[in-house]
Amino acid sequence: MADNRDIWVFSEKTGLLGELIAGARGLAGHTGGSVVALVLGPREEAGEAVARGADKALWLGQPAPGVLVEDYVPTLLGLIKHLQPYALLIGATKRGQAVAGRLAARLDVTVLTDVLRFQFDGEALQAEHLIFGGGALRVDQPLAAPVLATVAAGTFEPLAVDGSRQGDITGCEFVAPEWRVTQLERKIRPPVSVDLAAARRVVCAGRGLAKREHLALIEELAQVLGAEVACSRPLAEGLDWLPRERYIGISGAHVKPELYLGVGVSGQVQHTIGMSGSRVVVAINKDAHAPIFAQADYGVVGDLYAVVPALIRAIRARKDKGSL
Amino acid sequence: MDVIVCAKLAPDPEDIQVKSDGSISLENAEWVIGSFDLQAIEAAVRLAEATAGKVTVLTAGPHQVNNSKLKKDLLSRGPHALVMVVDEALASADTALTAAVLAGAIRKMGGADVALFGEGSADLYFQQTGLQVGERLGWPTLNAVSRIEPQENSLLIERNLEEEIEVLQVPLPAAISVTVDITTPRLPTMMEILKAGQKPVTVWTLADLGLEGQAAAKIATLSVRAPQQVARKRILIEDAPEEAAQTLAAYLSKEGLV
Repeated sequence: MADNRDIWVFSEKTGLLGELIAGARGLAGHTGGSVVALVLGPREEAGEAVARGADKALWLGQPAPGVLVEDYVPTLLGLIKHLQPYALLIGATKRGQAVAGRLAARLDVTVLTDVLRFQFDGEALQAEHLIFGGGALRVDQPLAAPVLATVAAGTFEPLAVDGSRQGDITGCEFVAPEWRVTQLERKIRPPVSVDLAAARRVVCAGRGLAKREHLALIEELAQVLGAEVACSRPLAEGLDWLPRERYIGISGAHVKPELYLGVGVSGQVQHTIGMSGSRVVVAINKDAHAPIFAQADYGVVGDLYAVVPALIRAIRARKDKGSL
Repeated sequence: MDVIVCAKLAPDPEDIQVKSDGSISLENAEWVIGSFDLQAIEAAVRLAEATAGKVTVLTAGPHQVNNSKLKKDLLSRGPHALVMVVDEALASADTALTAAVLAGAIRKMGGADVALFGEGSADLYFQQTGLQVGERLGWPTLNAVSRIEPQENSLLIERNLEEEIEVLQVPLPAAISVTVDITTPRLPTMMEILKAGQKPVTVWTLADLGLEGQAAAKIATLSVRAPQQVARKRILIEDAPEEAAQTLAAYLSKEGLV
């Protein structure tokens, strides 16, 4: 492996870059190298990366109009080949996945994707990630250099900004890519209606709901519990009853609330992997054999259309009593 | 436009069994076409139909993929032909090897106008293969594609990104990884299932691609086990709805939630 023990981090998203820097500090503690942030955007962001814990920043500049994040692959490749870092952690957005895959192909290595945890066994780096739709945890050890890994938002906690931190900021020249695509349009999505990851309580609708209109029942229960409304993937991606930022699952939102209450949710592992860190899990389902019950603290076997209205009344009655 | 669509045949992850020691077994899992690859196959067939082109399915794996039921399944979904790279070295291939093999096969097939891929394999879902194949071929390669429209000598595509939908014009040849939103896979008709047996199938080994012995692993898998489950109380309430609701509300109150 390379003598350079530095851990590099890259994400086009500033917040995610901050999280990666924090994660990289843990790795650099073992390798004895520096944390180097590759920064795309205005120069102030390179300074911010240092304030967030990077020892150095390689400033790639601000992309010109029509230049994609992905167009920076040759620039990144050149830097990696020249400076030979130990590892590069890339934020797992769609663009990040594209950058990681293309770099891996050029460097003839592979990518450790959606890494949940890194650890060292002596000198050997190990990375944990989920496979089989969330049904299994796999631990891989990279054998080739550099180590390329993608890391999703929420895996690492960013460090607090420390304006007194010093670090070299080096400007890097853009290397024009061999092929270009033409960006014709960017349709910016309306801002997300909810940040489920921050929700302290969640009421989740599943396929047990027969009609879209019945979401009103879920909303009422959520309201009385002070909870956000969420759903399993089919209600968002397939049926389009709720926006995609509201679905909990392996490829959707990951939540860690005090309360997760699933209504008509069967409990398939691709869904529950997104909420398994909840403090209290409650499930309402008419099928006594639904897998969710094995993953719940409290389960009600019954018809949601009878149980949920009764539960809303019961909770209201307690709140009214409490406020007397 | 001639299209090569890559599909992965692998044990169905829904069939995994967790042993008492926490280890995972796929011994009894049925080998199936990856669920995300079905959309890619359909998108390939529609693209070829719209442009009077041909579709070839390409797959790579160990001996279990060379199975007549699986081959018929692939060929009953609209493609004209199937190419398989079958080799035991592919039983535990990492993405780098898979990508090298698929890129090698595509070159040996004489290339195409478009190579299509699903968003990820059903079993591993690393979401990497299409990107790595495209880059190894030196073709424009993009992921998260939810819409494709053929044009004169390019594709108009939409990428479904976190905060935006990006509309791009991509020159050919191109490697495109599509999302599940791209289209709905057709159900194979009886006619297509019967015709499937007549379609040409080519089988290669790594040696045929000049890749034998070049499969140095980039990663070592140390363990695969069931994730640690949080111990749950598993208290089941099976009363009539009114009573059940009262009982549950009482528990929620005890948990400090109501």
